[in-house]
Formats: sequence, C-alpha cells, structure tokens
Amino acid sequence: MNGRTEEALRAAVRDLADEARGAPDIAGRALRRGRSLRRRRRVVAAGAALAATAVLAGPFVWLRPDPPAGPARWAAPPATSTPPPSGPAAPPAASTPSPSGPVAAPPPAGDWARGPLALPGGWVLTGATSTGTPAELGYALDRSAGRYVTSRYEETWAAPRGGVAAVVDYERRGELGLLELRTGQVRWVKVGSFIMTPHWSPDGRRLALTLMDKDDGGFSLGVLTVDTADYRTFPVDGKRYLCTDQCFFTWSRDGAEVALQQTDPDASVSESQPHARRGVQFFSPDDGRPSRFVPVKGDPDGPWSWSPDGRSVIVKGPDGPLLAEVATGRTIGPAPAADAAWVAGDQLLYRDRRANEMLLVDLAGRVLARQALPPALEANPVLAVAPR
Amino acid sequence: MAEVVDGEFTAFVHERGDALLRVAYALAGSQHGAEDLLQNALAKAYARWPRIRGDAEPYVKRILYHDQVSRWRLRSHRAEVPVAVLPERAVQRDLGQDSDLRLLLRDALRRLPPRQRAVLILRYLEDMSVEETAAALGCRAGTVASQASRALAKLRELVPALDELTTFQEAP
Repeated sequence: MNGRTEEALRAAVRDLADEARGAPDIAGRALRRGRSLRRRRRVVAAGAALAATAVLAGPFVWLRPDPPAGPARWAAPPATSTPPPSGPAAPPAASTPSPSGPVAAPPPAGDWARGPLALPGGWVLTGATSTGTPAELGYALDRSAGRYVTSRYEETWAAPRGGVAAVVDYERRGELGLLELRTGQVRWVKVGSFIMTPHWSPDGRRLALTLMDKDDGGFSLGVLTVDTADYRTFPVDGKRYLCTDQCFFTWSRDGAEVALQQTDPDASVSESQPHARRGVQFFSPDDGRPSRFVPVKGDPDGPWSWSPDGRSVIVKGPDGPLLAEVATGRTIGPAPAADAAWVAGDQLLYRDRRANEMLLVDLAGRVLARQALPPALEANPVLAVAPR
Repeated sequence: MAEVVDGEFTAFVHERGDALLRVAYALAGSQHGAEDLLQNALAKAYARWPRIRGDAEPYVKRILYHDQVSRWRLRSHRAEVPVAVLPERAVQRDLGQDSDLRLLLRDALRRLPPRQRAVLILRYLEDMSVEETAAALGCRAGTVASQASRALAKLRELVPALDELTTFQEAP
C-alpha cells in the first residue's frame, strides 16, 4: 500500500469514528450492568466452590461431580391469562407479581445447574452459550445425569437431545468440538471456516454448518453426523438460491430437511436494513439437493420456529419478528421474538431478556406462564430449549 | 470499597468514554451498535475493576475488538454476506475529489467483515503496529497481514477509485 492509499484509508477510518455521538449516561448504564455481572459471577463462583471435587475433563471444561439432585424445584406456573388472585396457589415470596399476567415462578434456589430447568409448556432448558471473550460459562444439559455441564469454551451449543454439545474454540479455527457430556472428552472435527452458528437437528444427531468461500462469497452446507463424525459438504448454487445478509442453514421441525432463507433479487438493497426475502428454500441434508420452496419472507431461527402442524412459522421479518402462513407466506401477525419456540398448538415460548424470564404466550400475545431464569444466565445471549 | 470502585470507574468513563465510543463506533458502524458494544465492554471492566484498574483502557479495547468479531458469528447479528450487485461505484470519479473518496471509503468500511474492519481500525485509528494489532486481537502477525490484505482488496473492489489512487501514485 502506498502513502496516498494509506492516507485516504486513515482519513476514512477517522471519518467513520467521528460519526459517533456522545452517549448519555454510558457510565451509569455500564455501572448497573457491571453490578449485575458481578453478582452473577459471585453466584457462579459460589456454585463452583461447592463442587469441591470437580474433575478437570479438558483444558476449559469441568464436570460437576455431585450426584444429580433431581429436577430443580420450580413452582408450577399459573396456567391462566389473568392475574391469579391471592391465596394458597400463590408462588413463593421470591416471585414477582406482574401487572399483565401470571406471576413468575421463581428460579431454583442454590446451585440451579444440578437439575434440569423445566420451562412452561412442557419444555426444558437444554443449554446456554457464551459468546465472545473473555468467555463466560456456557451450559449444556446432560439428560442422562440430570444436570448441566459447564463449559469455558467461547461458544457451547447444546443439542435438543443426546449426550453431546458442540463447542467452539476461537483458537481452533476451522474446527468444531463435540463435547461428550458424560465424560467431558472433546473430539475436534475439521469442518472448514463456517459462519454464524452451528445448528443442531431436532434429534441431536446431526449439525448443520454454513460455510462461505471468502473469495467468491459462495455458500456450502456442511452436515456433521455426531456418532460417526462423518462430515459432508454440499455447495449451493448461489445464483439460483441467492442469499445475502444473514444467511445460515437451519433444520426443519422434523429434521428431514435444512432451510436457507432466500434474498429477493428484485428488491432494493440497503446495508442499513435487513435484505428483503422472497422465501425459504429447503435442501436435503443427505445429498444437498434442493427439495422445496416456501414463500415465507423472513428468516426462521431453527426447527422450533415451525409450528408442529407445519402450517405456520416464526421468522425474523424485515421489520421485526412475525408469524407467517407457510403455504402462502401471508403474515399472520407479530411474534414476540425471532427465536421464539413454537411449543404446541397456539403456544409460543420465548425469553424476555429484560426480565430474564421465559414466557409462554398464546398467538394473541396473552401471557400464559412465566418462569424466572437463574441470574447466572443473564449474560448468556443465546439459550437452547427443547421439549422435555 | 464499593464507593471507591464506583468513583474510579465513573471517573474513568467520563475521561475516556468518548474516545472509547469512537473506537466502538468504528468497529460497529452504527451508534446503537457502538453504545451496545461499549456498554457491555465497560460492564465487564467494572466487574473486574479491582484487577484491571491500572490498565483499564487496553482491557476495554480488547473486549471491544473481541466482542465485535465474535458477534459476527451470532445469529442475532447481521452477517456480512456479499450482495449480488455491489452498491454505488466510483469508477469515473476524479481523484482530486478526496472528500468523495473518503465518503465512499467510509461506507465501504462498514461493509467489511468485522475481523477485517477491526484490523484496519487498530492499524489506522489506533495507529498500532502489525505486532501490536496481533497482540490486541490475540492472533498471529501473519493473520493481521492477511486480513489487512483481504480488507484492502475488498475496499478496492467496492471503491475502484482507491485502486486508481494506487496506480496514480505508483506511476513513474
């Protein structure tokens, strides 16, 4: 690079930085968030201290050696859309009354990770991942032991079922780790440079990865079979199946196909807005062949985005999360969160980040049940849930 | 003790907050993203304040760089996938129009993958050497060089006038 190029680049970088406007009360906001973080770390540290005979099972992973304590004690959430009257059914004192619906069931007391966290609607928290550095604790539910395994890898992606979690170590580029929850052993598989996040099939047997060739921007689907560590990649015809902006393969609810959102090539493109979609294209995870197209104009988040009857789906639309009819693409209405899980019938489960709670709502937005999450999960940006 | 920590932390943010926000903005490319990024980094710094109080600014910056690069992989954030048709090009621009070129370059910077943009921010906003940049990002110097090279190639693709600038300069 010559001097003039460097000079122009330096000026442009500074121009970009100069666009920043002063942020009001950034110190106060950071203080409040920092206090919350510190409280959470103390809780985690206290939990770790109790595990006096922890077994080091890998460079960053430790398993909780304590015998399973059975399911964590949760107060049953009120299954009503109206505030419960005061009386014997009221939850314990730790619960928070809500002006707009049922009272939240409190988080389990003590070391919450020693038992599965039951969620409203008959679901369970299967894990939580840390992202970024310094790595925070990630969690993956070991269903056989009935407790969560903690992980210090930068990312920990818990499977809906089975005894393996996927882990990402930022120092091992192009590799994905398969963490055996029972033993703590990690098998590293060379998968190539993948973007976004690994996605588990609903049965926990396969992982879908989105690979992008940085030179030509082309996509490939990577499918890793956990039991055999068999890894296959299938290039996608990027002209025919165009995807720009956020692109990642996710699984259908039955695990028989993978989906990739499709960009509308005729729509105007602005990098300040999500790119317009024309629909979702499905592919076979067995041979990568395109299977079907649905005119849903948004990005599904995973297998639980699709309703159990396959007629509706939750997607991230251009202006926010929405519910759409699969056959026609017609928007049914807004959705509470792009990563909400379609639990059953007309019930959706999602996380209220501000309150650190899981909410079960109906399609009209009425809150059916609320459960508070442990404070330790407050900083984990992504939670994994699955049917119990 | 808590009051001392709060006081030191608040004073640090008041003194260095604007400078850190500029870095965060250059990394995130938007005001909202910058505030979010910086707030998280400062919160982590606060939680570890007794251990990092003498070295807070480099610590906060390290978190800014790492979190921004890491967020790229999160599904909740926008992945930078090339569009089929590139936006406005500057093929016919007069090289004397430096302000136009800077404007185009500034917009093109936003389109770089976060890791590449982070390398350029460290090198040209923070004036770090390749080795310092590598240390800040926790990677090898060779990785910094290759990321910078790819970033430059991408910028030339997006802003051909940058290439013309190079040719102009290198002509005998």
